[in-house]
This record gives sequence, C-alpha cells and structure tokens, in this order.
Amino acid sequence: MRRGAAVRGTGWLWLAPVVLAAALLFGSAVGETPIPLSTVVAVLASKAGLPAGVLDPVDASVIWHYRLSRAVVAACVGASLALSGLILQALLRNALAEPYLLGISAGASTGAVAVAVAGFGAGMVSMSAGAFAGALVAFGLVTILARAAQGTGVQTTGIIILAGIAGSQMFNAMTALIIAQSASAEQARGIMFWLLGNLSGVRWPDIRMALPMTLLGLGVALWHVRTLDAFTFGADSAAALGIDVRRAQAMLIGTTALVTAVMVSIAGAIGFVGLVVPHAMRFLVGVRHARLVPATALAGAVFLVLSDVVSRIVIPGQVLPIGVITALVGAPAFAVVMIRGRQR
Amino acid sequence: MSDTPILELVGVTRRVQGRDLVSDVSLHLRAGEMLGVIGPNGSGKSTLLNMMAGLLPPTRGQVRLAGQPMVRLRRQQIAQQLAMVSQAAETGERISVRDAVELGRTPWLGPLWPWSARDDEAVQAALQAVGMEQMAARDWSTLSGGERQRVHIARAHAQAPRILLLDEPTNHLDIHHQIGILDLVSQLSVTTVIALHDMHHALRCDRVMVMQSGRCVALGAPLDVLTPALIREIFAVDAQLIAHPAGRLPLFAFQRLA
Amino acid sequence: MLRMTTVIIAVLGLAPMAFAGTDYPLTLTSCGHDVTIDKAPERVVSVGQSTTEILYMLGLANKVAGTALWINPVLPAFAEADSKVERLSDNAPSFESVLATRPELVVTAYEWMIGPQGAVGTREMFDNAGIPSWIMPTECIGKDNSQSMDGARTVLFDAALLYQGIEELAQIFDVAERGEALIADLKARETGAIERAQALDLPDELSGAFWYSSADIEIDPYVAGINGVPGWMLSKLGVTNVVSSEEEWPTVGWETIARADPTFIVAAEMNRRRFPADDIAVKREFLSSDPVTSQMEAVKNDRILTLEAHAMDPSIRAIYGLEALSDALASLGLSE
Repeated sequence: MRRGAAVRGTGWLWLAPVVLAAALLFGSAVGETPIPLSTVVAVLASKAGLPAGVLDPVDASVIWHYRLSRAVVAACVGASLALSGLILQALLRNALAEPYLLGISAGASTGAVAVAVAGFGAGMVSMSAGAFAGALVAFGLVTILARAAQGTGVQTTGIIILAGIAGSQMFNAMTALIIAQSASAEQARGIMFWLLGNLSGVRWPDIRMALPMTLLGLGVALWHVRTLDAFTFGADSAAALGIDVRRAQAMLIGTTALVTAVMVSIAGAIGFVGLVVPHAMRFLVGVRHARLVPATALAGAVFLVLSDVVSRIVIPGQVLPIGVITALVGAPAFAVVMIRGRQR
Repeated sequence: MSDTPILELVGVTRRVQGRDLVSDVSLHLRAGEMLGVIGPNGSGKSTLLNMMAGLLPPTRGQVRLAGQPMVRLRRQQIAQQLAMVSQAAETGERISVRDAVELGRTPWLGPLWPWSARDDEAVQAALQAVGMEQMAARDWSTLSGGERQRVHIARAHAQAPRILLLDEPTNHLDIHHQIGILDLVSQLSVTTVIALHDMHHALRCDRVMVMQSGRCVALGAPLDVLTPALIREIFAVDAQLIAHPAGRLPLFAFQRLA
Repeated sequence: MLRMTTVIIAVLGLAPMAFAGTDYPLTLTSCGHDVTIDKAPERVVSVGQSTTEILYMLGLANKVAGTALWINPVLPAFAEADSKVERLSDNAPSFESVLATRPELVVTAYEWMIGPQGAVGTREMFDNAGIPSWIMPTECIGKDNSQSMDGARTVLFDAALLYQGIEELAQIFDVAERGEALIADLKARETGAIERAQALDLPDELSGAFWYSSADIEIDPYVAGINGVPGWMLSKLGVTNVVSSEEEWPTVGWETIARADPTFIVAAEMNRRRFPADDIAVKREFLSSDPVTSQMEAVKNDRILTLEAHAMDPSIRAIYGLEALSDALASLGLSE
C-alpha cells in the first residue's frame, strides 16, 4: 500500500471537472430572466457544432455571450482568490491572511476612484484599468515598505502584514479624500457597487486575461505544494527543511499579487472567498497542500459561480453586488463546515 | 576516510546592531560524535546553532559543510545533510503526527521527484525510532510537550541527515521526558550538536563546548571542561562533582556563591 | 432657447394686481419639517441646480447669495445672472461656507444634501443657526430616501410636485403672481407635448428604456426606475417602461433589458466625462457592437433617442424633456 502524501486522498480529483462543468451549466441556465433549460442546452450544443434547430438570437447571445462567459470568469476569479488566500495563509502563518492583505484591494479602489471621480484619463481609461494600475502601485509600495523595514527585529511575516495594513490604510485614506473632494452621490454609489464586486460587465475577451492568470496561479501553487507544507512550523522550520524561504516568498507572494490584481480589475474586490474557502477546505480535506491546492481552487470556482447566480436572482429585476452574496452565503456555510469539522 | 570535517566553523562571528551575539568561534565537528553546547541564557547558543544550520549567515568567518562553504550551497543541498530541531516550533494547523514526520522528506522531494516507497520507509523508520508508530494518526493539538518534541526529532530523523542539530530539546519538559529525549538522541547513529543548559545532560556528550557572551571559552571532553572553576566563572555558582553511588556518570552539587 | 427667454420676459413683464401678497410670518411644512419664514428672504443659498434655476426663473437671482451642486451648465438665459452669484462649490458645500454667506433661507433639491444624513448638514443644524431650510417636494413626496442615496419612488412622479415647489417658493418670496405665470406656461407646454404624442396615434404596445450611464461600459447600466421622471414621461405618452424597479436609478442587467426588447431606448447626453459611458457616442457604439444588445429591435431599427441628462431629474427641464421626447417619437415613424 502506498501511503505517500502526494497520492493519498486525491482520488476524488477526477470529479473536479464534472463538478466544475455542472456549476458552469448551472451558471448558464439561471439568470436575471428565465430561459428554459432546453434552450440553454440547445444554444451550448449549437456552439459546440451540433445541430440545434432555430434559436432566438437574443436568447442565444444572452446565454453564450453573457452567462457562460460570466460563469467562466466567475470560476477563474473564485479559484484565483481562494488560492491566493491559501498561499498567503500558509506563508504568513496567519489564519486571517487574505489576498487583499497586500494592499491590493485598497490600491484598486484608489485607482478606480481616481479614474471615475477625479476624472483621471478623461473618460478614456476604464475603471478596470485604473484598478489594475492602483493595485500594482499599492503592492509595489507595500513591498518597498516591507523591504525597508527588514532587519528591524520584527519577523518577516509580521513585517509583510504590518506593511500591508499601513499601505491599505494610506490608500483607503486617499480614496476617501478623492471622494470627499469631488464625488456626487451617483458616482460614489457606482464605485461602491463596482468595488463590492461586479461580474455584469464580463465578456469573452476578459477570459483572455482571467484564464491564463488562473492557470498561472494554480500551476505555481501546485509546483510549490511541498514548499507550502514546509511552512507548517514557520519560516525557520521551512528553511531547515531545505526551502529557500526568500525565493519561495518572492515567487509565491508575487504571483498572488499579480493574479489578485488582475482579478480585482476584472470583477472588483470580491471579499470572503480568499479568506474562508481555504479554511473550509482544511476542515474537509486536511492540511496537506497536495490535496488542499486543487480542492481550494475547485471550491473557490464553484462557490463564486453559485454566488453569482444567487446575486442575479435573489431580488427580481435587480442585480446585487456579488461581494454581498459571498458574505451572506459564505458565512453560514463556513459555520456549518466548522462545526462539522469539529465533530469529525 | 578523508580528513575533511563533516562540519567546520572558522572564526565565525555574528554581529547585530553593533553587538556580537557570537564572536570568533571555530570548531571541527567529528563524524559520529555528540557535541553539547552549554552556556547561560543569552550566551549565543541558538545563534551559533542557526549559523551551523546555515539559517543565519555569519557576519565574519565561514561555515563549511563537508568542506563546502555553506553560503554557496543551495538550501535543499544543506537540508539533505543537516537537520535542525528548533526550540518550540509550533503550529495551529490540524496536522497529524504522520503528516508532521512526512515534512522531513521535503529536501528529498520536488515537483518532479514525487513521493516514493523509499520515503514511506524513511517515515516509518523515523516513527519507530521515536516510538510513535502507534500514534501516527494522532492530531498535533492532542500531543503533550514531550510527544511534540519526539515528533520533531522523528521529522529530523526522516530527513536522513548526516548531522542533527537540536536547540535545547529538553526545555519545558518534565524530568522523565528530558531523559527520554536524551536517550533517544544518543541512540540515533548520527553526528549531533545539542544546545543544553543542564550540566548533567552535558556530561552524556562526547565533547562539550562552553559559551559565554558569544565566545567559546572551553571545548573538550565533559569532565575535562566542566571543572568547578569554570562553572564558577561562567554560571556564577559553586559546583562540586560527586561520584555516582552505582558507578554511572558523576553528579554535580550546586550552591549559590556567598 | 428662444422660447424660454420669451417665457421669462412674459413672467417678469406681467404685473397684474390680482394676486394677494404673502402674509408673514409664513409657516409651512417642507418634507415633514415645520418651517417659519418671518419675511421675504433677501439672501438665500440654493444647493441643487434645479432649485437654483427655479429661483432664477422667478426673477430672484439678486436674492441668491450662493449656489452649489451643479450637474450641467446653467441655462444660457441665466448665464449672465449666474456669473454674478457666488458659487460655493460645484459639489457639496461645507456647512460653514453656507453659514458664512449669512443666508436667511437655504433651499435644496436633495435630502442627501440637507436632511437626516445631509452632506451639508441636518435641518436641525440649520434650525439651531436660526436659518429655515426648504426642500423641493419632488424629493420627499412619494419618495423614500432612507435606503439608498438616489432614493426610491413609491408613487409615480408627477409634474404637480414640481408646480407645488414653484408655488411654495413663489409664496416664500412673495412673488406669487410670477409663480402662477411660470406654472401656467409649463402646464401649457406639458399638455401640448402630450396632445402632440396622442395625435401620432402610436400603437398601444410601445415600450421604452432610459439609459443614464454605466460605471464601466459593459457593466449593468443605470436605467430609469418605473416611478421617476422618465417613468412619468413614458406614462404620459402611453409607453411602458421595461424596468419595473421603484429605485430612482436602479442598475439592471442588459440581459433583462434585451429580453424585454423595448421599442426604443432613450440615452442620456451629458457634459460629464467620468465614466466612458457618459459619452453618447460611446453609448451608441456599445449598443450596436455588443453581441446581445445589437440583437435588440430598438438597436436594429435605429430607435435610439438622445435626451439631456438633467431633463431626467425632477426639475423644470423635465417638462422640456417631455416635449423633446414627444417630438422624437414623432420622428420614429411608429404611427399606425
């Protein structure tokens, strides 16, 4: 009997594509307006090159161009944010670490507000581009701050967290300043709505960014599963186990920052996924990253696709910010997982 | 057998913010020996061990692992030869004993070198060595301090190192577990450096290095080094060596200086 | 603009003796708050373009001590008068900057400026400073501002609220006859617009949607709710709004709008350039290039109408907007 960590407990992995496909189909089938499942299947079949009869062009476009692209991007964003949270929690040995810890969400807000309120770019630059730029600038500053503070006696992980908090506070203050100076109610509302997470503007071209970034994040995480395990007893212990801690931190945190910045620029700062999905998965599949990485990616993807569906149907005729749903649905779901995990 | 020492320190100094934590220490570690490092709190024992493990770079001097300067080796190469059990390495993760021991195989694995039967054997042997094979499925949070220390040693054992570094492994343990850990360590057939602050434990080593304020003040066989005069100077206590009634290692009787 | 100028000249020129002067102290209730006016105010601060322009139309520009919260440029007829008035801020003015002008009255078009969570201040703060505050009835009658910034309308907007506001302001400033003349003119224009639309003999099942803007071009757009000014225009012209939300400016997905397939889309035109979709050309480009919206009947048949954004707010311009929309419908060739 082989009992190695790499193979043990990963037999369920073949189910992952099935679960993901089911979630994507569900995301395509349920939306703001009711479309019969038969129509949905017919549209998807016709796109796959199968004969499907005559289809209503609006229905077909809605299913293919709005719903399916949106579901795929939701899956990418969910998987990426959950993985980013997992990586940071493992590296920083902090249960509360999440992708926005590095100042990325605060920087994205500032970037978006600078475009939408202060008129940066004079209507030619989209809020997404502003958010992406802001996220990278914020992460850059947090990194510089963390580097400058190295050797002051505080542990490296502590420095990163402190620098992230300082950077986030600074960028949040800048956002507040810009809004106080010039925002009208309608703009402020638009930005808040966008920042709470919004997938309504997602189309197929977004997938050209979202999918490769998700695969990059997943690939880097899978490549480093043993590195992540080695951090179980802290960074010094990881170093003693043969991990080049600095290189691993730079590689993993850098990838996390880049992937998160791209996701925030596509979908806004959707909270909760990166924090809670990894913890829920630890309860379900254990703490070894060979299992945890694929499980977290899958759960994040499915969770966000489902949350997006809920955000579209919970109030008829109106779409809620997905960040509201992830928190409303995620918190009780997490409580159930936690309680069940304790009884295990 | 070549003359190259398995681990060598040459004039090693570690200076932080203008203060020498370790100052000009040189050492040739002999293959198969058990070296005790002893000294009062803050004498630089942990810093010295961390430099031996390549976890801290020396400010001056050099550490050589089997003749190679440590700074030129990759972390993975170091970890294949040298394992370290730090003081009180803790985790909040719900990790099992077997999971923790399996971490010891990290330096032998990579994305392209997956887990194999050899790794299973190493883990099993390590669990046996510390007598925890029956507790392999236990959750880390349910273990006592002594059990945790044994798991850490098993993890280091699974690493299959030539050198084992232990930083005060008996700290915070009751006397039963202290002796258990030392017995365990002395049974492992591996070159060992162990930081201690109990002089009775030091007597069990092949050689003892005594540290004071970052400097090595004595190095040699325990009974040659741990003289009443030296103990008086370093630890500020009056010590008398008393023969064991059953002929085992002698005992110290300590008294505060008047 | 020529028509507007004639109105003003007419209003100012008329000086019949038929109207009784206001009796002071005047007490009235404005958005649930009791207000007492001791004498016709000599100095008023107006927070909101809509109230400012009504004051100008009533010939009260010389009484205006300060203005704030501008959305569009002032109506050209008042450009000169406005240039002599201090502009406290283009957005929300601070409480102290309002007080510094020593006003005898503050008026606003928005409860989120002066109200329970007012950005400028609460009405109690103004009461304590001895300054009465007045809010346009369009802002609170049939409207709930407690849940969202733009508020929700539980009752369909009606121009009567606008007229009531003009009447109250005219009474406060003791210019009742000018108010009556202005209202009469606006009412005539409203009636005329509706009659012209009815004369078109439009089909019964017309539907429309108003697109204000979008925070990002492909994101869910801000569209007019069912009970706001655009909803009122559509109901007056016998057209169904495809949006059913009571929010003043809800965000509704293009999926919902496309599948409801309105007969025409009214797109807002504005000088503001904060979101790319503020630009009417960007709006049109999106509608014709997006894979879903390009399939809509309104887009395929080029039934995209343009309307000034401020005309979609509860202001005098709403009446002009109704006229413009009525005329635009005539140009679509939908008559049976």
